[in-house]
Amino acid sequence: MATNDKLISVQHLVKEYNQGEVVALNDCNLELGKGEVVAIIGPSGSGKSTLLRSLNLLETPSRGAIYFEGVNLADKSVDINLHRQKMGMVFQHFNLFPHKTVLQNIVMAPVTLKLKNKAGAEAQAYQLLDRIGLRDKANEYPNMLSGGQKQRIAIVRALAMDPEVMLFDEPTSALDPEMVGEVLDLMRDLAKEGITMVVVTHEMGFAREVASRVVFMTDGSIREENTPSELFDHPQDPRLQDFLSKVL
Amino acid sequence: MWWSNLFENMSPQSFVNFSFLPKYTVFFTQGVVYTLLLAIVSVALAVIPALLLALMRLSKKKLVKGISGAYIAVFRSTPLLVQLSIIYFGLFGVIQIPRVVLFDFIDLSRFIPGVVALALNSSAYVAEIFRAGILAVDVGQTEAARSLGMTNWQSMRLVVLPQAIKNILPALANEVVTMVKESSICSMLGMAELMFGAKTVASSTYITLSPYVMAALIYFAINYPASKVIEAIERRMRRGDKR
Repeated sequence: MATNDKLISVQHLVKEYNQGEVVALNDCNLELGKGEVVAIIGPSGSGKSTLLRSLNLLETPSRGAIYFEGVNLADKSVDINLHRQKMGMVFQHFNLFPHKTVLQNIVMAPVTLKLKNKAGAEAQAYQLLDRIGLRDKANEYPNMLSGGQKQRIAIVRALAMDPEVMLFDEPTSALDPEMVGEVLDLMRDLAKEGITMVVVTHEMGFAREVASRVVFMTDGSIREENTPSELFDHPQDPRLQDFLSKVL
Repeated sequence: MWWSNLFENMSPQSFVNFSFLPKYTVFFTQGVVYTLLLAIVSVALAVIPALLLALMRLSKKKLVKGISGAYIAVFRSTPLLVQLSIIYFGLFGVIQIPRVVLFDFIDLSRFIPGVVALALNSSAYVAEIFRAGILAVDVGQTEAARSLGMTNWQSMRLVVLPQAIKNILPALANEVVTMVKESSICSMLGMAELMFGAKTVASSTYITLSPYVMAALIYFAINYPASKVIEAIERRMRRGDKR
């Protein structure tokens, strides 16, 4: 297979609704190497989130292939649960489990899936909480936390699975402005540590500073892909030029 | 006048002629116990099949979804008395239950068919309660659980159902209240519940109206406070829901 050494390779991905009446993704191709940080930008409704959610099959592709560690996830015979364990995902609305404490939120998946025993998972959870300075919230319920705290815990919950790649779906879009910084800071640290990331974002500053590559999407297609400095300073595609003139 | 006779029959005395009471009290007390047992046991028995039906209804597989949909449609679109008769004479005409009598008034050979029929009927309604309760949980919860690699059933069991339960419990309690009323139909097949007790008293004393008024008072005395309590609990839960 033409997957070479890439961690993720998306090939000719198409996502249609209503038997092709609506095309959400139109022949998307994307490669992602280990340690890369790819930011996906574009106007709303451009298919950024759909592309990201296709990577762990929260959206089922209509056609095309998604290779993850050499396995085509779009193949129906693949046990997607096993591969999802290695793909952490962070959502716009956090999606912490409200009936569980912070600690239980973090250890639930690794313990349920028997990847770690309870003591081991909890020790790791406390380490992760220490790192984000929220150890004292371990036994609180999510409704007691601020949006920024919730999102940082959601990130840590995904990290507790020791994923190969982290997928971020507009992680700061639902936050009050004063809380955006703490979440971006954490993501910046993760990028520095070499964690592979795909980030759908409206934060152009973050994309420019942290991403190793930026992908511009519109109308379900990837229109331009380049290093942040090239893409932001010398945009080629007229739609990208138009988009940047509005957001920058 | 043609209506003078009517008024004679409907005199205030005929409504509240409880002269049967000291002697026939036992018909009402045993009847209440029988009624409550029918209602509670049948709803309790309905819970597991109902959960199964609800999960089947939410399945992506057309056949699985169809079977559950057909079951729910049949039981919700035919009268309970018809279902009861078919199960009583059909199913339990084949399966013979020995005539064991509990506490001197619950004849299992009648009680069990009655409970089974009510439970089968109730599971169709409770299935819809479960389905609505599950659908009321934000889809992001399932996505978060699945994105961590948990299976469909793991995320249902650990994430969705514990949150759905607070939508489900009050509706389930309401189903018991409904069953307390609906189970009166079991009197048609000789189950000695409250309505049957009233009927027996009426025919043995020739007091035609008051035993039924008595039954109505008892049904009301059970169901009205019960539904008020459920309402209050529902309100409390909603208040604790702000996250």
